[in-house]
Amino acid sequence: MAMINVEKLKKQFDDKDVVKGLSFSLAPGKCVALLGPNGAGKTTTLRLLSGLLKPSSGSIQFEGINQTADIRAHIGYLPQYPIFHEWMTGKEFLVYVGQLAKLSKTEASERADQLLEKVGIAEAKHRRTGKYSGGMKQRLGIAQAMIHKPALIMLDEPVSSLDPIGRREVLTLMEELKQDTTILFSTHILSDAEEISDDLLLMHQGQIVESGSIRELQNKYQTDKIHVAFQVKADTYLDKLQALPSITEAGRGRTGRNSVTSRRYWPGPCTNYAVSCG
Amino acid sequence: MQWTTIFKKEMLEYARNYSWIWVPIVFIILAIMDPLTTYYLPKILDTVGGLPEGATFDIPQPPPAQALYMSLSEFSMFGVVIVVLITMGTIAGERQSGVAELVLVKPVGYFTYISSKWAAKLLLIWSSYIVGMLASWYYVNLLFGEIAFTTVVQVILFYGLWLTLVTTITIFFNTLVKTPLLVGFLSIAVMIAMSVVNSVFSHRLIWFPNNLSSYILQMMDTGTIPTDLWATALIIIGLIVVLLVAALFTFRTREMAN
Repeated sequence: MAMINVEKLKKQFDDKDVVKGLSFSLAPGKCVALLGPNGAGKTTTLRLLSGLLKPSSGSIQFEGINQTADIRAHIGYLPQYPIFHEWMTGKEFLVYVGQLAKLSKTEASERADQLLEKVGIAEAKHRRTGKYSGGMKQRLGIAQAMIHKPALIMLDEPVSSLDPIGRREVLTLMEELKQDTTILFSTHILSDAEEISDDLLLMHQGQIVESGSIRELQNKYQTDKIHVAFQVKADTYLDKLQALPSITEAGRGRTGRNSVTSRRYWPGPCTNYAVSCG
Repeated sequence: MQWTTIFKKEMLEYARNYSWIWVPIVFIILAIMDPLTTYYLPKILDTVGGLPEGATFDIPQPPPAQALYMSLSEFSMFGVVIVVLITMGTIAGERQSGVAELVLVKPVGYFTYISSKWAAKLLLIWSSYIVGMLASWYYVNLLFGEIAFTTVVQVILFYGLWLTLVTTITIFFNTLVKTPLLVGFLSIAVMIAMSVVNSVFSHRLIWFPNNLSSYILQMMDTGTIPTDLWATALIIIGLIVVLLVAALFTFRTREMAN
């Protein structure tokens, strides 16, 4: 059963197609990474799903929710650079958005305390958000996305702007959150996606070019290939490499083009060799 | 529920950025400046000196109604600018900075968002304006002669409509563009355009909003509320409603993340 079905979602800005007909569905309880280079349309996709942008065409259907109903009650969203009212404290802001998400004041306050504890900024809850560091803002941002216990939270580049320590902390936090809710997050860093997500949606130039679980994709595209670089003229070793057990193919690749496996001979000094194993 | 949440948040914001202190002070200064300087002008001239020997001045003291009206003139000039300045960022600023993205991704109705901010600004502006007018009334009573309390209340209520209209125009532009400076510019431009239209077509457009203060003066002179004042007031209220609805529609067509 899918939680969201997206059909032929398109978005144009002026004359530019930013999202060109996305179709995918998300299963509940999964952590899905939307992976792609900058400018692939990841942020636009998340904003479309969160209702901040209106699709030019196509549909977004949340399971069990009327098409015309306000989907915003069921989702949490963290923009890439979350901005808070600088004059508010972290706790005040959470209670504020909690009440906007139709919690009562006491509920919002309790929930805010829990979340501040969970994201690890409880000691800073009475400080103004203007004084927060980047990592703290990101964590407050995650807390505000979770405040109304949404079925789905969407995080736009949650770790990209953080230093290595902040990034590690937020990734660990997401790993925990994964237990409670469905997460869709965008990133341009493969290792982050590999680390915490179950499924991948690979986006390029406004289209989803590949999707599936990490394992599936690995099986599909992984080739057993080793690149060996020599510091000396290596042509003489080619035959020896070829003769090694379980080597199916050994050939000369051009410098910088590591994936080329070729038996063709290119004259010149030593370069890389690609060795494929069976 | 959500309406009061946003309203209260605005109140807290005005407290934190000291709006509750400086806006009333500015309105008090604007209101009492003209009556006071008019009254004390002869004394000021005496003290400063520099007049040729034997020069005499006979400056007639205006009647109390005229003195109170001076405060309204100041509000029409500088009060309007203050109103635009404090209102121009209320929605546009949040959209520009990106806070609106976090607020509007929660299930908040657009009309709730606009109207609560509108009401919060009006509370700040009306309180400051009332305090200013009461200060002006105090000095006018003291220096120029008595004006009945009921008259002052009527003046405050009618002229307050003008400031409400200015606030609403600014809120409308807040939903149209997301740069506070541009909002301010457009609002002031509209005010200028309105006063040009009024001075060109004044004989035709007798109930044009800009005529409000002249009818208020007439009311103070005659002691009764002229029909033209009622009509102008109704037109202003109508405009306010239309602008609020228009603000809702433009805001709906805006995309928040844009």
